[in-house]
Amino acid sequence: MKAFFIATLVATLSFSATVDDFLESLKKEVLKTDLSFKSFDYKRGEEIFLSKHVGKKGELISCASCHGTDLNKSNQNYFTAKEIDALSPKVNPKRFTDKTEIEKWLKRNFNDVYNREGTPLEKGDVITYIINK
Amino acid sequence: MKKIILLGLTSSFLFAGGMSVSVKPVDNTIYEKECGSCHFAYPAGLLPSNSWNKMISNLSDHFGDDASVDEKTFQTLSSYLNENSAEKSMNYKRSRKIVENLNGVIPDSISKMPYMKKKHEDIKENLITQKEVKGMFNCTACHQNAKKGIFSDDDVNIPNYGKWEK
Repeated sequence: MKAFFIATLVATLSFSATVDDFLESLKKEVLKTDLSFKSFDYKRGEEIFLSKHVGKKGELISCASCHGTDLNKSNQNYFTAKEIDALSPKVNPKRFTDKTEIEKWLKRNFNDVYNREGTPLEKGDVITYIINK
Repeated sequence: MKKIILLGLTSSFLFAGGMSVSVKPVDNTIYEKECGSCHFAYPAGLLPSNSWNKMISNLSDHFGDDASVDEKTFQTLSSYLNENSAEKSMNYKRSRKIVENLNGVIPDSISKMPYMKKKHEDIKENLITQKEVKGMFNCTACHQNAKKGIFSDDDVNIPNYGKWEK
């Protein structure tokens, strides 16, 4: 039991460190073009996550089409029906612990839904939404 | 009682006979993770290497999705697929049949290749397109032990239809 607590604690800490560093690097990117930038925003992130767009496949989809609206639950890939583990690090401690993975999926999924890559501001906002939802 | 046990044993042996591993199951964790996040991680022995190479040459537009990977991951996937493709796995029944039925074609996908189309031709279109299956690409929707490389008719259970009887 003790081991479990420690493991959970380590996972939680590594999640915070990784995602904090990543958000910090995004913030630096944003500040390059917007000196008045203060912080990433949950509300803007929610809009990015839930709004529908004609994606790469020509269908009207949002991030929630595959990840669902309850980020504490797993959901099915809209196109393939493959189970996707819950996105929220609150219930899925593996989420947001690896910078390479975070960058890979942001690039792919912005392309899938928005048909373009996300800006540093959009990425920071949507992560802020996901980790706090 | 003895008879029942004997009968049970015999039938389970017969069952096991029909449920043989006919494609080499995936045995690469990176392949499994990278390709299995969005869909069933298809055994490499389901396509010849020239098909795999054509497919992975454009992962940023992978059947309409962005499935791009970094260079190092790409090399791992490419080596694994090339070393375990259908023509390298001729000791597995399905891989051998796939190769024998290519007729000079380089298929763009597993579901479009001649052998696969032939094997599924008796299944009604609506059973394949129904929401529980979505399409021919979703092996595991019906082939319950596809992950173990088992694709025998006996192992098929189609949603809203049941066991496959020819």
